[in-house]
Amino acid sequence: MKILVVLRMIPDSAGELELTSDGRGIDREWLDFQLNDFDDHALEEAILLKEAAGATVVAVAIGEGSNRVLQMAVARGADEAIALEAEGDGMIDSRAIAGSIVALARSKAADLVLCGVQSTEDLFGQLVPYAGALLSWPHVSGSSRLGADGSALRVTQERGGGIAATYEIALPAVIGVQTASKAPRYVSGSKLREASKTAIGKAPSEPAGFERSAEIVALRLPGQRGTGENLGDNPENVAERLANILAAKGFAGV
Amino acid sequence: MTSETPVLWIVTLAAVALTAWRSRRYIAALAQAPGASRFDQPWRRLEGVAIAIGLHRKMLRKPLSGILHALIFVSFFVLFTVTIEAFGSRLFPGFSLAPIGGDSWIALLQDLFAVLMLAGLGLAVYQRYVLKPARFRGSSGSDAAIIYVLILLIVSSLLVEAGARIVGGADGSWRPVASLIADLLRALSVPARPTERIAYWIHIGAILAFLIYIPGSKHRHMFLAAPNIYFRNLEPVGTAPAVPPERETPGVASLAQFDWKQQLDLLSCTECGRCQAVCPAYASGLPLSPKMLITDMRDALANDASTPLVGGVIAEETLWACTTCRACIEACPVEIEHLPKIIDMRRHLVDEGRVSPMLQDALTNLTRLGNSMGKPSKMRARWTKELGFPVKDARSEPVDVLWFVGDYASYDPRVQDVTRKVAELFTAAGVDFGILFDAERNSGNDVRRAGEEGLFETLAQSNIDAIRACTFNRIVTTDPHSLNALKNDYRHFGGAFEVLHYTALLAELVAAGRLDIAPADGATVTYHDPCYLGRYNGGFDAPRDLIRAAGYTLHDMARCRENSFCCGAGGGRIWQSDDGVKERPSENRIREALGLGVGTFVVACPKDKVMYTAATDALGVASSLRILDVAELINLREAPSA
Ligand code: SF4
Ligand code: SF4
Repeated sequence: MKILVVLRMIPDSAGELELTSDGRGIDREWLDFQLNDFDDHALEEAILLKEAAGATVVAVAIGEGSNRVLQMAVARGADEAIALEAEGDGMIDSRAIAGSIVALARSKAADLVLCGVQSTEDLFGQLVPYAGALLSWPHVSGSSRLGADGSALRVTQERGGGIAATYEIALPAVIGVQTASKAPRYVSGSKLREASKTAIGKAPSEPAGFERSAEIVALRLPGQRGTGENLGDNPENVAERLANILAAKGFAGV
Repeated sequence: MTSETPVLWIVTLAAVALTAWRSRRYIAALAQAPGASRFDQPWRRLEGVAIAIGLHRKMLRKPLSGILHALIFVSFFVLFTVTIEAFGSRLFPGFSLAPIGGDSWIALLQDLFAVLMLAGLGLAVYQRYVLKPARFRGSSGSDAAIIYVLILLIVSSLLVEAGARIVGGADGSWRPVASLIADLLRALSVPARPTERIAYWIHIGAILAFLIYIPGSKHRHMFLAAPNIYFRNLEPVGTAPAVPPERETPGVASLAQFDWKQQLDLLSCTECGRCQAVCPAYASGLPLSPKMLITDMRDALANDASTPLVGGVIAEETLWACTTCRACIEACPVEIEHLPKIIDMRRHLVDEGRVSPMLQDALTNLTRLGNSMGKPSKMRARWTKELGFPVKDARSEPVDVLWFVGDYASYDPRVQDVTRKVAELFTAAGVDFGILFDAERNSGNDVRRAGEEGLFETLAQSNIDAIRACTFNRIVTTDPHSLNALKNDYRHFGGAFEVLHYTALLAELVAAGRLDIAPADGATVTYHDPCYLGRYNGGFDAPRDLIRAAGYTLHDMARCRENSFCCGAGGGRIWQSDDGVKERPSENRIREALGLGVGTFVVACPKDKVMYTAATDALGVASSLRILDVAELINLREAPSA
């Protein structure tokens, strides 16, 4: 099995977000970037599949800091690392990158594409259906467990209310990973240092062939919410004041 | 006596052979162990042995144990002359100590020290079975008991033998105690010759039994304590063990990977439990006793077991419980090095990715951003914004003092006020200082001690590169942990700098009259020695000088200076959960301070400010015991207005 994992770099939400002067984007100059959490799980799931059933894992990263994350992917067990050239340095638009992912899946002869179910820049999880549609492969999103079963794949998908459905789908396929079967592993600094010697390949950006659908006309930063109230540090007073506040807001009958 | 000679030869040789056979596993393990360079500076090494053994320096920190051990120890040497005579006279007929005083002054000494030995033995029995100190919990009780019985047999048999000889006509004038026994034997009308012979063979038998018994007993320390102290670590104690180049992965996964000194440590343990008594992890109820860490590994060495070392012989929770406070090594009378073993085994766990979720988060943040909190590096110098003056960027202009601020002092809102106060004091004293802004990374001190050697190297390299690109004379750090890494660890990674703690710099400024202090009214305060400032780097006096200079009276806690009790944060513990902790070390410490009746608890480490503020909050005593940094105690006189 050959697995292509998509790793998207997103702005670190712990940083201070500022808008660009036209108000239509985030000023990325002073931001730190980090790997999209769901993509981290997708990578882990790929490595777990490799360990369980044998597979070749190709990691593809997009965005600022790709090289660092690709080295991490190699340290965790990926066999090949490719940095995807992105157009411009704006948001990672699933509609735009789907073409490049699909081209890579074809050229690498992948039979499974894994990516995170969503990202802060793709809250509706569109990358998986786009890639699936372009490849004409089946796709499932929101997986919490994958298991290889011959030429098929068993995909467990979390539904609401604690219900989990398990599908069996034929490969090749595209899966949007919600959580890996196991939490992403820790990879030690010495393994990272070792992996930093690995060569990182490059792939050009390919058009998806979609027409432009919509434009962002304005972005807004989160507004100031109500401020907190300090209840002091004396436990008895704190308890009493908290009880009064709850009562005043109608949370408890006093 | 000639008929006894071949018998004694046979028994003695058999006993020696049996002893060697019983030691074979240890000997083989040591012979195959990786090398360790512990052969330098012979005089300094010998001096240490003389102080440790000759003066019983650490032993006497516990007076009763120290004295009883000294009694047994000295008596042993004197009574060894009896052993020499007992074996010599029969193995080599004609041998006698008489020509050098064997029947006069040596006889007198033997007589007296036999009694002192029994007195020491009595005290030992009293301590172990009546006083029952908690530090013996987990030590082998039967081992001690067997040795007590053997010593009793050896000493009483030698006295009875000498007494019987006197009954048989020997001169008793140099043997007052044996003469008393002779009187007793006469009164009981026991036959002299047979009694002498029976006592002799009991004596011989007990000595040989002792010899055979020793390889499997903690009493190996009779032979191994001196070499173990001789080969002790002479490197600065703040330098973490280097990873030997021949190791394929940074950690240690089996006992055989430990070098011979680390293995000799295991064999030398006396099970005295002094390490256990001072261990904050043990006191807090976590599954770590430094004593049992050593004895469990020792037993595994002897049993050749197939149980894996890390996660088997030594549980993972045991390894993660350690705060790396170094109190155990400081307390150990035979200089056993617990910490290098813990760090090496942690390295193995980290290399395999076996870390708790909290630690994983912290290490991932450190990898990504250079700080454990997950804060952007751009925000590292944010604390300077609220200062009334700009802080120099040491990357772009030369400074006298390069201030390495550290993570907690930079990012933690509970500590930033202290950091600003330190900056104000430096400025008031006219110190020309600058910081690294977002080029600073966590120093890696605790990363290294958590076993993350690769990440430590990355952090250290990044800091060393940033520091070397600056022009400065000295480095000052806020955090004692950074102090330790920069001063002791970075030397081996191409960064030899002059580094001092801010308390040392402030004390220097006070001594030079560069700070115009308005002294307080002499209120009494207590002070907590941070492990990495005090025990690790000897910084005991500067903070105390500052407290006095600020106009306060210092009342030290019982556990102070070298014996300071860790706050519980070090070695990466601050990135671990408190699961299994019955009493947090920080709360244990606050209770100690509350017992003194002081109103202020002074600290000199940003982590201490955080840990102890949390502890006073948890105990509900925040209003009666303030946690203040030394810098916060110092009030400057208002500058006279122009
Ligand atoms: S270093 Fe401190 S916490 Fe660790 S074992 Fe020794 S005494 Fe216990
Ligand atoms: S390690 Fe040292 S202090 Fe601890 S029990 Fe053994 S000899 Fe005593």
